[in-house]
Amino acid sequence: MAPTRPPPPPNNIKKRKEAPTDPQTNASKRYKPTDHRQKTRDARTLSTQTSSKAFKNGELDVSAFVKSRAFEISALEEGMARSKKALNRRAFQQVPKELRRRTASHNVKRVPKRLRERGKREMADDNTPTVTARRRKPTAHMRLRLETVKKLRALGAKRKAGMDRVKVTVADPNGAPPTKSTDSAKDKQQPAESTTAIKARTPKIKKSLLATPPVPKAKFRKRQIHKSWLPTHLFHAKRARMTAPSAALWRFSVPLTPTAKSYRPTHRASHERGAVAWDMSYIATVQLEGREGSLIGMLKVLGVAEEELIGRKGEKWRQGRRALENFVYEREAPHDPVAPVTIIWCVSAAEESAGMAGKEKRNRKLLLRVHPSAFYQLWEELLRLAKVAKPAVSVEDLRFDIGSLEITGPGGTEALLSALWPSRTTSEPLAVRDSASTAMDIDSESRNKNTIVEETWSSLAGLTNPAMVPKNALLAFNVQDPRLHHPPRTIKLPKTDAEQHKLLELIASWPVDAAQQPPELFDRKARQAASATMPSQKAVNRRKGLAAPGQYPEPLPKDPQIPVLLYTTAPSTTDKGASGRPPPNSSSWTLLTPWKCMQPIWYSLMYYPLSTGQQPRFGGLDQYRQLSFEAGKAWFPGDFPGTKAGWEWEYAERRKREAEWRRRPKGKRVSFERVEVGEGVRGEIGIGWGCDWERLIGGALVASEGEEAAMNVEKAAESGDKSAENGKTKAQEEPKEPPQQAPSKPPHLTQLSARQALALLATPPATPPATTTVKLPPHIHLPSALTTVRLTLLTRGVPQPCARIYRLPSSTANPELRRQWLALLPTDTHKPTQKRGGKHALPRGLPSTGEIPPHVVQQRLAQSLLEPVRAGEEGYPSCPGEGDLVGFVTAGSYDLAAGFGTGIGSLLVEKVMGREEEAGERHLCVVRNSGTGVARLGRWEVI
Amino acid sequence: MVRIKHRYLLVNILYPDAKHSQLAPAKKSGDNVPYTVQFRRPSPDQMNGGLLMRLIRDGVVELFGDHGSGKIAGSLQVKYFSSATSTAIIRVSREHYRLVWSALTFTTRLPRPVDQPCVIQVVRVSGTIRKAEEEAIRRARLSIRRAEAAAKSASVSIAGTASTTPTAVAAGEDDFDMINGIEDPDEPGDMDDDDDG
Repeated sequence: MAPTRPPPPPNNIKKRKEAPTDPQTNASKRYKPTDHRQKTRDARTLSTQTSSKAFKNGELDVSAFVKSRAFEISALEEGMARSKKALNRRAFQQVPKELRRRTASHNVKRVPKRLRERGKREMADDNTPTVTARRRKPTAHMRLRLETVKKLRALGAKRKAGMDRVKVTVADPNGAPPTKSTDSAKDKQQPAESTTAIKARTPKIKKSLLATPPVPKAKFRKRQIHKSWLPTHLFHAKRARMTAPSAALWRFSVPLTPTAKSYRPTHRASHERGAVAWDMSYIATVQLEGREGSLIGMLKVLGVAEEELIGRKGEKWRQGRRALENFVYEREAPHDPVAPVTIIWCVSAAEESAGMAGKEKRNRKLLLRVHPSAFYQLWEELLRLAKVAKPAVSVEDLRFDIGSLEITGPGGTEALLSALWPSRTTSEPLAVRDSASTAMDIDSESRNKNTIVEETWSSLAGLTNPAMVPKNALLAFNVQDPRLHHPPRTIKLPKTDAEQHKLLELIASWPVDAAQQPPELFDRKARQAASATMPSQKAVNRRKGLAAPGQYPEPLPKDPQIPVLLYTTAPSTTDKGASGRPPPNSSSWTLLTPWKCMQPIWYSLMYYPLSTGQQPRFGGLDQYRQLSFEAGKAWFPGDFPGTKAGWEWEYAERRKREAEWRRRPKGKRVSFERVEVGEGVRGEIGIGWGCDWERLIGGALVASEGEEAAMNVEKAAESGDKSAENGKTKAQEEPKEPPQQAPSKPPHLTQLSARQALALLATPPATPPATTTVKLPPHIHLPSALTTVRLTLLTRGVPQPCARIYRLPSSTANPELRRQWLALLPTDTHKPTQKRGGKHALPRGLPSTGEIPPHVVQQRLAQSLLEPVRAGEEGYPSCPGEGDLVGFVTAGSYDLAAGFGTGIGSLLVEKVMGREEEAGERHLCVVRNSGTGVARLGRWEVI
Repeated sequence: MVRIKHRYLLVNILYPDAKHSQLAPAKKSGDNVPYTVQFRRPSPDQMNGGLLMRLIRDGVVELFGDHGSGKIAGSLQVKYFSSATSTAIIRVSREHYRLVWSALTFTTRLPRPVDQPCVIQVVRVSGTIRKAEEEAIRRARLSIRRAEAAAKSASVSIAGTASTTPTAVAAGEDDFDMINGIEDPDEPGDMDDDDDG
């Protein structure tokens, strides 16, 4: 079958092989190898036999008959095989999805090793050379550029040689080893060829000033004028969809979502196998320094609970052994909520020596980590408080000083362990050590107290869920440059029961609490020293080259010691596992490290071969929101419309959705003014493309006017006047662009914490509202107080963002509608999690085999007839009226963790409190997606 | 993307009139050629795919006029024709395969250069050529077995007649029964699905 090919001519200039010109070759094979159409046609032709050939000398006999049939069978079978083979794919087309690439995918050197041989053969068949950049002949244009580069390089070398004659030693005030550097500005003053030591001025640390982003390399400077890059920007820009250049998010260029499909893989990596990591360097860090008493006073004003600040509960946190996440509020009268903030105290050096009074007086430091959308609000607040505090507290903006990353999933700990090699360690590094000593011997006398934290960290191998370590536990130590151990290798994990037991013991005793030294991350000098002494990639490569094959280079005393601070983010206590939802088990590690040391750590993490296969995935903002949604957690700022940042986020989302809606032609977009919204009313309530809080809390607000006007104009334009040729009228008809800046938040709109909301909801309905407000601080304006809730739909349906949430109509106002909705409430046998067949599926539970007695069939039939009505059928209840509107969904979709549609939204507390409800009817609601007429029964719970 | 859907007809050509056949039974063995072999005669050499195509086109024109011929013209193709076994696979668009089928059924005579009475049997309609091929293979296997069984029984009974004896039929595992010369009568189960609406 193989076509006979002539040997290629000696100087084969043409890229493709020519068609064989030999006339003796098979005529049917005479086509170019690239003529795929002809090739498939050939593959599909079936060979036949004429009857004169089959039946020699025209005689009909059995053997010839059988032979002719046999020939037919073989011809057909061979034809089937041939046509199937013609569909065969090339080697690079068989690469698994996550390894596929777009550029130069055909390049043999870029396909996985196991396919490389095959790829090579295919490329040889095609006569396509695999060129390397090194051997490629440069184009004319490229040659010019290369020549310019050459010239420039020569010039630079000359200049450098001139400068080398002057050597200036700068004594680094930061304690970093003195580095030799040249300063061209000083050339003119200093006599040439002299070596002088110049005492550099100690830089005055500017406190209470906003940090400026690091000055980028000249090459990248223009791209960061109005925004900054994350330390791992180059990694993400190649692999993820970033924010648009014109629309930076929080003045950062943030990865939104990986380019590869990642919705389900992310879920799988975080819940079952693998790990997902995010560069969270955009989270702002602020350091407060001052007397402990003043700091505690500040935190108290910010709204940190009393028991944390004074009581026993917060003792470990105050000592700097735990992290604390807390919602902070403004100090001034409306006490607006600001943002959830993570607060970390620095361990004080002399812990035991000071008495109670001394404790109050000593200087302490603490870090506040806040989402960038609320940073300025918090910053202003902190400055104001710091001024008032006595003795004064200094506030320092560490935004571009400290970077951070977050990693979650069962393989997260493992990946971090391989990336973070402690600098101070008595035992061998983890990857080299044999498994017998993996778990630390806790009772060992020989252990060094200084290295307990490091040893504990190294012994965490085998931990799959960071929630197992004490809640919000902190670990602070110094690590080596991860580039020295790149590419990372899979670490040894405990396998035997004894090792696992040791790990459990370690977690239970948690020796870190007693031995934690003050983290060096709080020390500016240590941070700067680590950043400054990071060797160049070239130097690292040289050291790696000198190391023995298969060995990592030896650590040197001059190596940078990168201070890191790790803490676990445990799921909050309110997550008890909702109805039908498995309790949230995943928690994550957050790593803080100097900004400039982030990138090497990130690369080590990303290329770590997990013990369960594959590598850790990276996520964008969308993945972060997806996972917090699946965990049933509210995401700041999106799910907190009562805060300023949340309000701005909602406005931005609204603009985005509106633009999307307007882009569609009229016939293909939801016409919001025709939607049936219940009680016979047509037209969506408020703005169809947003969560119209203004409308909900009532009162014509300034914010809504622009939007309403836009919608009205839209209606007017639709209703007629198509003959308006006049340009002026057309310009008037054009909906005016909504303002770029978000309008200010309605003054009283606020977000209640779960505790406050639950307290309010627990008040019996009989008590008059005057007494219920007693529990609340007096400043809260109850008619516009929101609380974040989690929704589960009880029947079918998936809530979308902007979905409207209604309470059930009260039994006095509309008892019939209420009864209809309550009839939909599934009984215990029909859990919402129970898998159902399709719409037209047979009733379940019938025995699949054997005769079914007729009475059973009839019983089933009767049951199925008695099942609650489905949406779209006659008798399905309509949506309650606008009077029963209580809130909106801010995040909602099909929940992969729960297995059905869930949502996160906010409710007006006043509208749902004090309703007389039976036990089964508690917290029932009706959810209707924006722009649709079908509503669904759901249940909410405060989170 | 919309996929153009086809139907593949597996067709057998039978030659009922032995007189016209240019292939005579072997002279030496005389009447020994079993009936199954005589039933499935090879086509003459002049019969080929092109001729079959012409036959169908002419048949469709005769039955359905220009309208019908225009409907099938775009998609009609003879995918396979083997004159030794008188088997063909014809491709036609899904909407109009019935026109072709009826034209085949009404054919009584092959066209001019052959000019021979015939019966055309459509034995299988399938959506993919693969299934048509598999059916052709199945049928070829069946007829091989049947011919071998018949030959064996003929050699056992010296004065063997052309008809197959029931004992010989039982030798194969498949059902060899023939009803009025049709080897594979329709079972009540295998109704062809009316998916073309």
